[in-house]
Amino acid sequence: MMQNISIISKTIPCNDEVLELTNQRVIYWKTQKSLILSDLHIGKSAHFQKSGIPIPKNVLTTDLKRLKQLIQHFNAENLIIVGDLFHAGYNSDLDEFKDWLTQFSNLKIQLIKGNHDRFSNAICEQFQIEVFKKDYFLNCLKFVHDFKEPSNDFFTISGHTHPGVFIKGKGRQRIKLPCFQVTKNQLILPAFSLFTGLNTRSAPKNCKNYCFTDDGIFEL
Amino acid sequence: MSNFKQTQGYRIIQSWMEEKGHEPFSFQSQTWERYHNNFSGMVVAPTGFGKTFSVFLGVVIDYLNHPNKYKKGLKLIWISPLRSLAKDLAKAMNDVVAEIGLDWAVEVRNGDTPTKDRRRQERLMPDVLLTTPETLHLLFSQKKNSRWFKNVNCIAVDEWHELLGSKRGVLTEIAIARIRNLLPKLRIWGISATIGNLEEAKDVLIPYDVKTTMIRAKEKKKIKITSLLPDQVEELSWAGHLGKQMSSKIIPIIYENTTTLIFTNTRNQSELWYQIIIDEEPDLIGQIAIHHGSIDKVQRNWIEEAISQGLLKAVVCTSSLDLGVDFKPVDCVIQIGSAKGITRFMQRAGRSGHSPFETSKMYAVPTHSLQLIEVAAVKEAVKQNEIEARQPYVLTYDILVQFLVTLAVGEGFKPKETYEFIKQVHAFHFLTKEEFDWCIHFITQGGNTLKSYEEFHKVVLYDDGLYRVKSRRIAMNHRMNIGVIVSEVMLFVKFFSGGYIGMIEEYFISKLKKGDAFVLGGKVVEIQQIKDMTVLVKRSKKKKAITPSWLGGRLPLTSGLTHFLRLKLSDALTPNNREKELKFLHPLLKRQEENSHIPRHDEFLIEMIETKEGFHLFAYPFEGRLVHEIMASLIAYRISQIKKLTFTIAMNDYGFELLSDQEIPLTEENMNAIFSKENLIKDVTTSINASEMASRKFRDIAVVAGLVIQTQPGKRKTNKSLQSSSGLIFRVLNDYEPSNLLLKQAYNEVFDYELEKVRLQAAFQRISNSKIILKKARNFTPLSFPLKVDSLRGTMSNENLSKRIERIQKQALK
Repeated sequence: MMQNISIISKTIPCNDEVLELTNQRVIYWKTQKSLILSDLHIGKSAHFQKSGIPIPKNVLTTDLKRLKQLIQHFNAENLIIVGDLFHAGYNSDLDEFKDWLTQFSNLKIQLIKGNHDRFSNAICEQFQIEVFKKDYFLNCLKFVHDFKEPSNDFFTISGHTHPGVFIKGKGRQRIKLPCFQVTKNQLILPAFSLFTGLNTRSAPKNCKNYCFTDDGIFEL
Repeated sequence: MSNFKQTQGYRIIQSWMEEKGHEPFSFQSQTWERYHNNFSGMVVAPTGFGKTFSVFLGVVIDYLNHPNKYKKGLKLIWISPLRSLAKDLAKAMNDVVAEIGLDWAVEVRNGDTPTKDRRRQERLMPDVLLTTPETLHLLFSQKKNSRWFKNVNCIAVDEWHELLGSKRGVLTEIAIARIRNLLPKLRIWGISATIGNLEEAKDVLIPYDVKTTMIRAKEKKKIKITSLLPDQVEELSWAGHLGKQMSSKIIPIIYENTTTLIFTNTRNQSELWYQIIIDEEPDLIGQIAIHHGSIDKVQRNWIEEAISQGLLKAVVCTSSLDLGVDFKPVDCVIQIGSAKGITRFMQRAGRSGHSPFETSKMYAVPTHSLQLIEVAAVKEAVKQNEIEARQPYVLTYDILVQFLVTLAVGEGFKPKETYEFIKQVHAFHFLTKEEFDWCIHFITQGGNTLKSYEEFHKVVLYDDGLYRVKSRRIAMNHRMNIGVIVSEVMLFVKFFSGGYIGMIEEYFISKLKKGDAFVLGGKVVEIQQIKDMTVLVKRSKKKKAITPSWLGGRLPLTSGLTHFLRLKLSDALTPNNREKELKFLHPLLKRQEENSHIPRHDEFLIEMIETKEGFHLFAYPFEGRLVHEIMASLIAYRISQIKKLTFTIAMNDYGFELLSDQEIPLTEENMNAIFSKENLIKDVTTSINASEMASRKFRDIAVVAGLVIQTQPGKRKTNKSLQSSSGLIFRVLNDYEPSNLLLKQAYNEVFDYELEKVRLQAAFQRISNSKIILKKARNFTPLSFPLKVDSLRGTMSNENLSKRIERIQKQALK
């Protein structure tokens, strides 16, 4: 099981901003001291358990441990989550998340609601999360959950699709990895949670893929 | 015997047969008498000799003799593997019952039975119920289900050889144990075709301390096998599985015979061949049909009816017509491509000339040149009467877990009592108490770490000591999931104007857009809309349509056949006069000998070839695809101990290929060590852990054990938030709960599934006694070419992932 993770990053320019893509499924936005991430699906393992499908809960614990290391590594003060923070209704996983949150006294969380985030606003208040129903704008960046149409004035950051990519090499090698998908005016984040699948079928036109492993990040 | 022949029951049946001008076969009257004397047992007879009437009439006679011993309700449960079989059997049984004036109701119950009939049966069960293993388990999941079984006298399992050797066999074994637990006096009878391990088959079916017997019919089916050859050897390709160029040879055969069944190995092949025949001979339109498992059942029933009535000249089909009742008009069978096994080949041949003493006619059509050697091998095997064994599955924890939940959904269960009767089931003889407790733990608390599963309450222990399922939703999900046939996610295909055509895999349809045309059931249709797991289509006039491929359904060659294959290849260059297949192939075989080598029976051939694609290693154990997969990853593992490497692995029934982007360090000096039988089991275990094989096995296990919820075709996709792939769950369990028994089962099934282990050891023993021949070829050889183009692929690597990506990127820049 994962102990200490190694954090490798690669910076890319987006309009006037500079973003740091990491091999740990988050972006660090230095000027805002923010981590940008997507699709945590907190509550997924407990939701499966409730329905009679036994999934180990350590999945969540590991995800949160990794997030903590990232926050400490970058000294981040904000989390911008572009959707699917929670998987389903309220369950015990959310309690664990609440406990986990208490260790950060000054962490600000902003969430753009995803298709899975169907909880009441009261729950969000409990977690002291600032919720945006559709989108959120900061400087020249626009944050949404699911990318619909391109906008000329903003660089859009989204999640939802859990993007993955196949790398093909000599000797009929095929390697499937999660990735960031980047074009001139948009970026799609990989799912943060490790209890998620990969989607290799959807990619925006002319996109560049940044895939990563435990110890590296690669521009394809 | 004489006493029995005096009984009233026997005389009624005897005179009924006499009226019809029949006389019982000796295996039939023998069965009746043994049944009369309280035996359980197994009847072994070829199709067409009335094996149904052996056991069925035995029960009827017993009833006629002792009507008072039988009470109202279910008396005989008849399990058959195929739904389509049940309908015709019920008709035959009902005819008998009516003609001898018995007031029995014989009914079918399976997935196709309308709800209204099922409710009626639940109020009053018929006297004879024809059903499938899955439907029987579904009955166990109903409240107060024991009342239906309390008067059962006999469980008969038809086509037992077909169920044995699959997980459905284990379902059957458990179902019998559950009913026998209610009724210790239950008689158990199996009906089987000839297989290599009949005694074992009987013991698996009846592992109890009761009187058992084996009754073998003396009658034999005569089979005539003819291979169809093209005019020139060059007309046959080196690889491929269509064999289109043979169509002109097939048409005259269709015309010469009354009705011909044309067997293909996959649904995709059958769709293509239907088109090929119609294109070659448009006059056959209307007289030829297509039949496979993805075609709508109404249409399938219609086709089966039409065959019986002699309305069709030919039917292109898959294993969907392997079994079944007599199609009287069928007098000829054509097998396209390899039948993959001797038993299957003979079974298919037996579909023609169905009545006793008629000869079955079988034409074998090769789809590529090497298959002709296979035909020669099958002919030899049939001549020597060598038939494969079917190995039963053991310790299938996934089925046990499923069954325990089934009981908990139904009447609830007590662990002690359940453990005791489960231990008696052949598949679970070696189940330990710890493993059973783990299964209980798994369904009550989820897994090993108590703390991790606080919200998991699938099965709950009640105060009365019974384990039950409380949640209605969990019970419903479980009922939908009962069974062991795991299929891809399927969608119904339906005309916009109404009328179903069949089913198609979601995987295939997801690649198509609205307006795209594809072929199903011989019809060209266009996608209009996809809604609620149903594809709405309209007829299309488009010339270009895609033929769907269905995953799965690719069978490996059996070991019985591979043995003969090696022998035939060994003397392929010097065939005797009667082997026209080998003589015909001579030019091709000569080419193999000149460019590389033809392995003799005491030799083992390895070919190494370098091409633009990379470095290839081909090896030819001729052991069937499953064994090759294990061997390939083992050899890949051993070579990668010399130097860190990444391989893609391909295999077919003849051999395997290792392909790498870097030079493979196999030499004449180390080849004996690499292919050595030393440390075999240890190395295989390590290499399996490093490969994707267990993950693939886990796919079925996860569904059977209820870890992945299947979506039914035609239903709305519910439970979206519970969708996950078995691959994902495999990874999660591997990381967080490596002691999970279902994971262990997945690793075991790769190779501990006895057949493969024994075959593998035998193969390495053989290789160590052989002379290994290492040839460097400049080009693909007749043996290697099919592997290159037509194969399933996997990966095996012990390199660091990042290093691999860096090298791939560097190579791309060159």
